[in-house]
Amino acid sequence: MTAHAGEPRIEIVDLVVRYGDTTAVDGISFSVARGEHVTLLGPSGCGKTTTLRAIAGLEQPSAGTIRIDGKAMYASAEGRDVPAEKRGISMVFQSYAVWPHMTVFDNVAYGLRVRKLAAAEVKQKVARALELVQMPDYGDRPASKLSGGQQQRVALARAIAFSPTVILFDEPLSNLDAKLRAEMRVELRELQRRLHITSVYVTHDQEEALAISDRVIVMNVGGIEQIGTPDQIYNRPKSRFVADFVGSANLIAGRVSGPAGSNGAIRFETTGGIVLAASAPHVPRGDETTVAVRTAYIELVAGTPGMNLAPAAPGGRPNAVAGSIRRRMFHGDFVQYIVDWPPGQLIVRRPPTDLLEEGAAVAISFAPEHCVLLEG
Amino acid sequence: MAAIADAAAPPALRRLWARVASVQGLISLLVLVVCGALVLYPVAFLIEESLNVGDPQDFPPEQFGLDNYATLFEDAHIIYNTAWVAVLATAMAVVFGFVIAWILTRTNVPWRGPLERLMELPFYLTPLVGALAWGVLASPKTGFLNQLWHLLGSQDDLFDIYSPFGVAWVMALFEGTVAFVMIAAAMKSMDPSLEESSRVLGAGKLRTMLKVTLPLVAPGVLGATVFVFAEMLGAFAAALVLGLPGRFFVITTAIWTATTSFPPDYGRAAAMGIALFAVMFLTLTVYRLVVGKGSYATITGKAFRPRTMNMGRWRWALFALCCAYVAVAVVLPLGALILISFQKFATVIVSEMQFTTASYETALGFDSLRLALLNSLFLGLGVATIGAFVMVVVVWIIYRSNAPGRGWIEYVVMFPQAVPRTVFGLALLWAWLNIPVPIYGNLWLLALAYFTVLLPLGVRTLAGVVVQIDRSLEECARVCGASWLHQLRTVTLPLLKPGILAAWLLLFMASVRELGVSVFLMGPNARVIAPSIAASWQSSSSELTAALAMIQTVTVLIALLILFRAARSVTGELR
Repeated sequence: MTAHAGEPRIEIVDLVVRYGDTTAVDGISFSVARGEHVTLLGPSGCGKTTTLRAIAGLEQPSAGTIRIDGKAMYASAEGRDVPAEKRGISMVFQSYAVWPHMTVFDNVAYGLRVRKLAAAEVKQKVARALELVQMPDYGDRPASKLSGGQQQRVALARAIAFSPTVILFDEPLSNLDAKLRAEMRVELRELQRRLHITSVYVTHDQEEALAISDRVIVMNVGGIEQIGTPDQIYNRPKSRFVADFVGSANLIAGRVSGPAGSNGAIRFETTGGIVLAASAPHVPRGDETTVAVRTAYIELVAGTPGMNLAPAAPGGRPNAVAGSIRRRMFHGDFVQYIVDWPPGQLIVRRPPTDLLEEGAAVAISFAPEHCVLLEG
Repeated sequence: MAAIADAAAPPALRRLWARVASVQGLISLLVLVVCGALVLYPVAFLIEESLNVGDPQDFPPEQFGLDNYATLFEDAHIIYNTAWVAVLATAMAVVFGFVIAWILTRTNVPWRGPLERLMELPFYLTPLVGALAWGVLASPKTGFLNQLWHLLGSQDDLFDIYSPFGVAWVMALFEGTVAFVMIAAAMKSMDPSLEESSRVLGAGKLRTMLKVTLPLVAPGVLGATVFVFAEMLGAFAAALVLGLPGRFFVITTAIWTATTSFPPDYGRAAAMGIALFAVMFLTLTVYRLVVGKGSYATITGKAFRPRTMNMGRWRWALFALCCAYVAVAVVLPLGALILISFQKFATVIVSEMQFTTASYETALGFDSLRLALLNSLFLGLGVATIGAFVMVVVVWIIYRSNAPGRGWIEYVVMFPQAVPRTVFGLALLWAWLNIPVPIYGNLWLLALAYFTVLLPLGVRTLAGVVVQIDRSLEECARVCGASWLHQLRTVTLPLLKPGILAAWLLLFMASVRELGVSVFLMGPNARVIAPSIAASWQSSSSELTAALAMIQTVTVLIALLILFRAARSVTGELR
């Protein structure tokens, strides 16, 4: 079978992984294009690592199909299960898995030597890989004498050295401290762009997922909640779970009370009786019960109690409601307010420039496109 | 891709077949069949023989019945003796173990590190040598301690080691180390913050001890008690050396006598063996329940150094207590053996001492003894070398592979743990006497037997190290494109080197000093050292026996030193 450009690099169809009675992965399907960087994001126990390990061949699925470059690596219908070492992929492990009884060079050369490359070629490819991860002079060091960040780089060099078609990343940055993690995030993205590698990345860190992915797959209890670009996932969440897990959002309960008229917006009546203008990424069914508003998208303006906030007023802000500040917490990069408003409480994050006092009356407002009607 | 032979077979079946047909699958199948045959086949034969009520020499038996089991109740005193000695010895061993574990883990006793290492010494001395030495120390009239007692003007003996209490005493001294190790592990694995939070919340020392410490340690202590009790039930050496002269029988020595009497009563011996096996199996099942329910919940696998109590001046008293245990279990017995082995007549009266090397000359002069020593060393080398490598693969399959049937393999290889050595020896004797493979009475049978009974020891030791290796180190090799065998060779085995070496040394020592199985399987052409020493105790002088015991101990020591040196230069990484 010849691979052509339009064909996905990895294709997962109805994948199921069971351990005894529990189902870790429950019939998920997705595909990864050539050179694409896709992240599986979700809380621990959502099945993301199991999915990754199934692609690697380290976990045996119960049903479904896994294809790489159109070739079936696992297919329950044909009883086919290609062992991990024959899949031609590569993986970076959470614990780095750098072999302590070898030097850095031997670690990186492992995959090349397994493939019986000539010594000169091994040497050249190892040198290039170490160069790429900025550790060119570390070849002779024993791997057991490296720091966490250096082990991470060696693991990465080992994974790219034999030019695999696909690299899998299993929470590779989770053992690094915050500062180093942010640095490595940038480097990983650079490397991925430069080598044009197809990669699947697993993390529970939503910030990391949004920062480095072409597409994000949000998983929960063995299933897929939403697939989309980081922008789509953040701005147009489909479910309560996605809105809540990725970024921080206010979930406001109520019911759809009709189309709002202009630019496709809809009217949403909250349980407190306030009517909001909302937008829907999907075709509304009419029985939705929740809208989500990102905490960063809410404007607060100091006001006076009893001020006129009628949305119909010319020049008035959309979704303008009166409220008051209950609590203020200073986080440094932003300030988080808990605001009382008629339907209950809102969490609002504002830049730390204009501080509002606790107890102050405020005018709350947010754009209809940031007030997203959730499918479920 | 390999073509699948039967395309009509359902996919699930074909997947199973694909897994079995892999290298791993084939090796696990082989392991299961071979170990299963080695372990279960002799026991099955023993059960059959225990039901034989016809001619005990018949094979296969022609008449079946329960008469052999009925005779157990005629010899009720044997069962009573066994239970009494086991209870007594367990109580003493657990008290020793608990007190010393508490001192060494929870108090600021001086020189804690060296003391902890000294506690291992009784294990190296073995119950057989310990029993011989205590025989020398405390036999009526002639025992060193009793001689001293008489010198002080007493008419009676201070201590008669040829008594139920004497047997239990020696068993407790040497099993005390096991209790210590198990209880200390339970005490060390407790997170100190559990106690600290109790103190912070306002509970005093005593309340914390009663409400937090004891409940957390209790499952560990209970587990150790049950485990030690099971070991005591099957203990053989002390009862053989110290019980037989006074015609005090426990079940293991009764089995031995029934087998070696003329004509041998295999049926009765088998019935006793099966009964003992059943009780021990039950006890170990209780042990697994205790350990499974209680202590695993608090044992996180991490070892903590718990906060130690400041004992003030008392810490020197505690130190003396630990030293006393080491003295009684190691220094005194070893000293007595060395002294008597160089004497013409055993005495502690300095003016009457006559020193000679005659015992050593006699011992080394016997061809059969020299041969026995050589055979034992040879067997130790062979069993440890082949055993360690076979066991590491077995352990890997059990704990790391997803080969079908690995649960069964674990069960089979751990099974000999529940079979007392003497019972297993009897079972092997009966099994190999009666099948037409001519290995009875030669070293091959002993090698097979050692391998089988040492499976649990080796597997447990190696499992400890295999489980510690991060799984992803191996998975990474697979993802990099290495086959299973390549991964084993380049990643698993190199990482396991120190662990394999430790297991090798344990297996070597355990083989060279094996007694319970050897006494049944030794033939005129296959003598080994430990049973020869036990036999010498019964038929020759104690001076000669002491010399033999010293020769064995020193030979093992020298062999270990040489091997340790060699191993160090090979691995270069072992401290």
